[in-house]
Amino acid sequence: MDGSDIAEEVRPARESIAWSPGRETVHADSESPPEVLLEPLFWGLFSVGGFITAFLFPVTLFLLFFAGPFGLWPTDPGAYDAFVARWQEPLVRLFFFVLIGGSLFHGTHRLKFMLVDAGLKGRGVEAFLDLGLNGIAIFGSLGALYYALRGWLF
Amino acid sequence: MARHEYPWKRRPGWWLRNPRYLAFQLREAGGVVCALYGLLLLNLLMQLREGESAYVAFLTMLRTPPVLYLNGVLFGLVLWHAISWFMLIGKAQPVQLTRKPLPWKAVFGINVVLWLGVSGAVVYLTFGWI
Amino acid sequence: MAEQDVVFRVTRYRPVPGGRPTFQDYGLPFRNDMVVLDGLNYIKDHLDPTLTFRWSCRMGICGSCGANINGQPSLTCETFIRDVSRGVVTVEPLSNFPILKDLVVDFDDFLNKLASVKPYIVRKDWGDWTKEYTQYPEDLEAYRQQSLCINCMLCYAACPVVGTSPEFIGPAASALALRYIRDSRDEGADARLARLNTKNGVWECTFVGECSVVCPKDVDPAAAIQTLKVLATMRHLRRLLMPASR
Repeated sequence: MDGSDIAEEVRPARESIAWSPGRETVHADSESPPEVLLEPLFWGLFSVGGFITAFLFPVTLFLLFFAGPFGLWPTDPGAYDAFVARWQEPLVRLFFFVLIGGSLFHGTHRLKFMLVDAGLKGRGVEAFLDLGLNGIAIFGSLGALYYALRGWLF
Repeated sequence: MARHEYPWKRRPGWWLRNPRYLAFQLREAGGVVCALYGLLLLNLLMQLREGESAYVAFLTMLRTPPVLYLNGVLFGLVLWHAISWFMLIGKAQPVQLTRKPLPWKAVFGINVVLWLGVSGAVVYLTFGWI
Repeated sequence: MAEQDVVFRVTRYRPVPGGRPTFQDYGLPFRNDMVVLDGLNYIKDHLDPTLTFRWSCRMGICGSCGANINGQPSLTCETFIRDVSRGVVTVEPLSNFPILKDLVVDFDDFLNKLASVKPYIVRKDWGDWTKEYTQYPEDLEAYRQQSLCINCMLCYAACPVVGTSPEFIGPAASALALRYIRDSRDEGADARLARLNTKNGVWECTFVGECSVVCPKDVDPAAAIQTLKVLATMRHLRRLLMPASR
């Protein structure tokens, strides 16, 4: 009996690593798919951004947007005079640069995964999302750097 | 005999099936809202550069009732994002410091204390206390 | 222990061209100490011998009996009917896998994924084959939690990413990779992290965390994956910044 006759009948729709007459097994040392280049770096930025937003956003947003209107703070830190006074400090400029950069890299990464999960799959679409969303993060961060340095270093 | 498998298809609305999936989606939404606030803050700095009237106009717009309440909802998502972040980072323990992995609740507690300290530092250093 | 009826609503699927899964209801007597697997076996023994499902040890160690019970991936041998019944218990095959017949799913992809992380001790040089590799209790503790995996696939059924991306390496395979990476006798961390640093490796995980919730052995694959993300990033940076050290 020739093995290939049986193989015709029992060959399943897809490969399986279980033994069966006429079929080859898959070995554990099979070739690995290619490694990615940029994904770990964007994940690293996403991670750092997550720490930044988790630690710094609650109090900052509260003081800028909610403390004044709801009278929950003795002064209004978001008001023009108060903010301009603080804006002279290099530390404050650095703070907002880090905050904007971190939140952008964090949020765009999450958005990309939400969109891919919702169905925007495929190499072309995902490459476009990668470019677009990381582009927003990069340009936003550069913009924040510009406004942080403007009026201080130049 | 050929197989006639019935393929799996994930249904939309899968995240409404249990409270943990819903909490996850809200956390993800909170993360995206963080980016939104990032762009908002960037715009705030741009308006600051433009001058007092531009800055005041933008800030007033953010604080008028319909926008203010939307702002509140978005802020709620940001808070949930921060809380869930503290709950989750205890899970990644790449370097073994203790004999058994630290329980996530302990790491959560440590992070909340750190957050209080950092918030105090922000109030003092960034906003000049009061 | 009073006998009451409980209804099992079980998925039936005949693997014929154009076949679709349907539900079939079975009424069976129930005692307080029955698990869902007892119910399925009662059905097969007394009501309908054509019902097909996997099971073996009936004590939560072989990993064969995974199913969606009332929508939740669980082991049928460890789920008491009294805990899940409100008159009707819905038993479906595990989510995220193609159905072969009734409650039996095709998990060939899962086996391929497990094999792809080199789930064995890797050493550059085995040296003298009679040598004993000493391992102290604290060395064992480093990987013990991940070694408890029984390959029941409940984590794959719980993971929404597996649901839309069948190539995703998934929780159990990642936990297995970490188990070997953390084994003091092993030297194959680089090869495994290379496998995980791929498009369908750990980066597809969005840390939903449901895998760890459903795991019957507390392997905590979610934690394993986050740890692997950090390790993979560190390795990636090392390779980028210090190419000589490859």
